[in-house]
Amino acid sequence: MTARTVIERALFVVFAAFLLSVPWLVPAFVSDFWVNLIAEILIWSLFAASVNLLFGYVGLLSFGQALYFGFGMYGVGIGIDQLGLSFWPAFGLGIVSAMAMALVSGVLAVRLTWHYFAIITIVFSLIFYFLAVTMKSLTGGDDGINFTMPPTFSIDGNVWSFTNQTFQYFFILATVTLCFYLMYRVTRSPLGKAFLAIRDNDVRASLIGLNVYLLRLVAFVMAGFLAGVAGALFAFFGRYASASYMFYQVSGEAVVWAIVGGAGTLFGPIIGTSLFIVIREVVSTRWEHHALIVGVMAILVVILAPKGLVGLWRDALSRLDTRDPSATVTKTLRTEP
Amino acid sequence: MTDTLLLLAMNGLIWGLIIALIALGLSIIFGLLDVINIAHGDFFMVGTVVAWFTLEFTGNFWLGFIVAPLIGFILGALIQRVVIQPIQGVAALSIVATFGLSLILQESVRITFGPTPRRILPPISGTIPLFGIEYEIYRIFAAALSLAALAGFFLFLQHTKVGTWMRAVRHDRDTAIAMGIPAQRIYILTFGIGFALAAFGGAVAAPITTVDFRGGVDILPFCFMAVIIGGLGNLPGTAAAAVLLAFLEGIIQSVADPTIARIASLVLMSALLLVRPQGLFKGYVK
Repeated sequence: MTARTVIERALFVVFAAFLLSVPWLVPAFVSDFWVNLIAEILIWSLFAASVNLLFGYVGLLSFGQALYFGFGMYGVGIGIDQLGLSFWPAFGLGIVSAMAMALVSGVLAVRLTWHYFAIITIVFSLIFYFLAVTMKSLTGGDDGINFTMPPTFSIDGNVWSFTNQTFQYFFILATVTLCFYLMYRVTRSPLGKAFLAIRDNDVRASLIGLNVYLLRLVAFVMAGFLAGVAGALFAFFGRYASASYMFYQVSGEAVVWAIVGGAGTLFGPIIGTSLFIVIREVVSTRWEHHALIVGVMAILVVILAPKGLVGLWRDALSRLDTRDPSATVTKTLRTEP
Repeated sequence: MTDTLLLLAMNGLIWGLIIALIALGLSIIFGLLDVINIAHGDFFMVGTVVAWFTLEFTGNFWLGFIVAPLIGFILGALIQRVVIQPIQGVAALSIVATFGLSLILQESVRITFGPTPRRILPPISGTIPLFGIEYEIYRIFAAALSLAALAGFFLFLQHTKVGTWMRAVRHDRDTAIAMGIPAQRIYILTFGIGFALAAFGGAVAAPITTVDFRGGVDILPFCFMAVIIGGLGNLPGTAAAAVLLAFLEGIIQSVADPTIARIASLVLMSALLLVRPQGLFKGYVK
C-alpha cells in the first residue's frame, strides 16, 4: 500500500466520522446554523457531482444542469402544494420529472459536443427558466411557491419529518451518500470505463464498438438524476421552489465548484463546493462584498492548481510516494481531464 | 399595429447592431485564445458604467465613447496578462477564471457605482418621423455609430498589419509564430480589443438600456448564441446573426410579451443549432 492510499483512507474515515457526528459536534463548537449549512453543502455537492459526471467522466460540459435541479425542485413543490402529495410521492415526482426532462433534452443535446453542447444546454435551461417565470399560476415565477412540509415517515403515531433538524440532516446525508456511492459504483463499472474512453477519444471509442451516442445519453440522464435528487432535497430543505434556481448562473456555479475541486474525481465536487460555500458564509457576515473574494479564489485556483484541489493534493502525495523506496510504481488510470 | 411592429423591429435592429459589436469581441477572444469568456457580458456592463461616470464627472456624454473603449482596452490587456495567460488556453479552466473575473467586475462596480440601476438620458433628445412613426434620434445615431465601429473593426482586421497578424494567429498559431509574429502580444491585443468592443457597445447602449452592475448577465447568452449561430470563427456571420436574432425578437415582441418573445427566439435557436450546428452561414468567405 502506498502512502497515498493510507493517507486518503485515513482522511476518508475522519471525514465520514465528522459527517456522522455533525448534529452533536457542530452545535457544541459553533452553532445550530452550521448544521443546516453543512446539509446545504451536501446538497450542492450532489449538484456539482452531476456536472462532474458529465464533464469529468464523459467530457461533456453542461451549462444547463440547473434545469434538472429546477425540475427536481418543482416536482416536489408542485407535487406537495398543488397535487397534495405526501413526502415520498413528491420526492419521486421530482426525481422522475428531472430524469424525464434530461431524457427528452438529452436525446437532442448529446448529438452535439463541446461548445455546441455547452450552448444547447444553456439554451434549453433558459427556455424553461423563462417559461417558469411566465407561468406564474403554476410555478410562482421568481417568487416561487412555498409549501408546508409533510412528514417523511409516520409509523404508529411516531412522526419523523424535516422539522426536526437532526432528522433533516441525516436524511440529506443518507441520500447524498447513497448517490455518491452509486456514482462510485458506476465509475468503477465497465460503463464507467466506457465513459472515460469516450471522454478521452470519442472516435476511438466508437471504433472499438461503443455506441457513443447512447452512452452519452445514459450519462446525461444519470446526471439529470443526480441534479434532480439535489433539487428535490433542496426543495424539502428550503420548503419552497423557485424559478431563480433554474437560471444559467446556478449551472455556472456548479461548473466552477466541480472544476475547482477537481473534475473527474469523486471527491472534487464536494471539496470545491464546501470551499466556496464556507467562504461565502464566513465572509458575508463580516463583509458585504464577499463575491470579490470568491472571484479572486476561483482565478487563483485555476492558475495555481489547474487540475483542481484534488489534483494538487494527489500530485503532492505522489511526490511523497516517489520518495518512499518501498512504493511500487503503479500505472493508475488517469481520471483528470 | 403596424406602427408598434415597425417600432419594435427598428429597436430590435439597432439593439442587434450593438450586440454584434459585443459578440464580435467574444468571437475573437474565443477564436484566438480558446477562452470561453463568461465575463464578456460584464465587459459590456463596464462600458455602460464608464459612460455613466464620464457623464457624471465631466458633464460630457460624448467623451464616454472614447473613455469606455480605452479603459476597456487597458483592462482587457491587463486581464489577459495576469489571468488568461497563465491558464494557457485550456478552455475548461478559462470558464472558471472568467467566472471569477465576472464576479470581481460585478462586485467592483457594485462597490463604486452602487447597487441601484440608473438611467442616462440620451444626449440627443427628440424624435424624427421615419416610415410614418416618430423615432428617437439617439437610437438612429447609436445604429450609425455601431455600424461605423463594425466597419472600422473589419477594416482594421483586413487592411492593417496587426489585423493580418491576428487573422494569421487565429488561422494557424504555430506557423504564425514560426513566421516571426509576436503571438503573445497579439493575444494581449486581442483580449484588449475584445473588451474595448464590448465596452464601446456598452457606452453606445447606456442611454437606451439601464446602467446596472448586473446588466451583463442577460447579454451573455445572447452573444454566445450569435457567435454559434453565425458559425464559430466566422466574424461577419456572427455580426449578421446578432442583428438577425435581435430583429426577430423585436418582431415577435409586437405580438407577444417580451418573455414569450425570448422563449420563441430560444426555441428557434435550439432548432437551428440542431439542424445546422456549423452555423447559418457556412461557406461564407471569411
